[in-house]
Amino acid sequence: MSTGEEENAAELKIPDEFLKAKCLMNCEVALILEHKYEQLQQTADDPMNQMSQVFEKSHQYVKRFSRYKNPDAVRQVREILSRYQLAEFELCVLGNLCPETVEEAISMVPSIKAKGRALDDEAIEKMLNDLSLIKKFE
Amino acid sequence: KKKMFLQSKLSWNVVLSSEKLETEGLKLQKAIITHLLSVFAAKKASKDHGYLLAVTTVDRIGEGRVRQHSGEVLFPVEFSCVAFRMATGEILEGTVHKILKHGVFMRCGPVENVYLTHQKMKDYEYVPGENPYFMNAKSSRIERGGVVRFLVMGVKFVENEKEFQAVASLDGDYLGPLS
Repeated sequence: MSTGEEENAAELKIPDEFLKAKCLMNCEVALILEHKYEQLQQTADDPMNQMSQVFEKSHQYVKRFSRYKNPDAVRQVREILSRYQLAEFELCVLGNLCPETVEEAISMVPSIKAKGRALDDEAIEKMLNDLSLIKKFE
Repeated sequence: KKKMFLQSKLSWNVVLSSEKLETEGLKLQKAIITHLLSVFAAKKASKDHGYLLAVTTVDRIGEGRVRQHSGEVLFPVEFSCVAFRMATGEILEGTVHKILKHGVFMRCGPVENVYLTHQKMKDYEYVPGENPYFMNAKSSRIERGGVVRFLVMGVKFVENEKEFQAVASLDGDYLGPLS
């Protein structure tokens, strides 16, 4: 890792969009931590010194709880969810929990139905359909 | 509303001894970054930022400032990292690792102890035995190794352990064990 030059996001398959994001989905964190893990194994003199227990537990967790594994699919998920005027944390909850129905989505993220929000049931349904399509073709 | 996995920007001072500076020479940048990564890994968690997982980018290394008496040099370093926080009202999934008569403990990301009391387990009853578990009328089970989707009711930072503990509930639709 070097300063000044950002790591080439395309090379790492970690898109700029979510390096700039404040909230990250489990599947995005999985890509980042997996890359870090490989990097440390290759370059560090003493990789275990730089890999904390927090890192390892989190790495295991996000690997297990990622609904999408393929980097292109992960990127698509953020892209699609970004079209629906969601707050960052709402996007992440939906991307993590992958609700199957509109009721479940509203239960998981009640704020999407708050007053004044432009998201009607039809839009939510479409969003969930788009997400499940990504899963099918992963 | 800062919760779950976050990308945070931090600014820390990395202090290198004068011996380190002499030997590293042109590899100064590498020495600073290596030291930052070690300190980062050792830090584990803070109340404000949550658990510290990994440094993603080093954005800027400032001018070194010499500490007169020790000969050490201090470098301010700005970097981005992935952190994890749990917040009240959040819905998360975790793995059960301990079953007790009055509730269960779950593990979620770097958080080792998320406690779900029996009273917040809507309709689940304790089933004793060598491998105890909780079960409801529909034979759905909360057992060791199982995944449970829960609501975070409260979070506490334990300073001397440098860890967060949380209390959970299953009050709500679509919460409970997942098959």
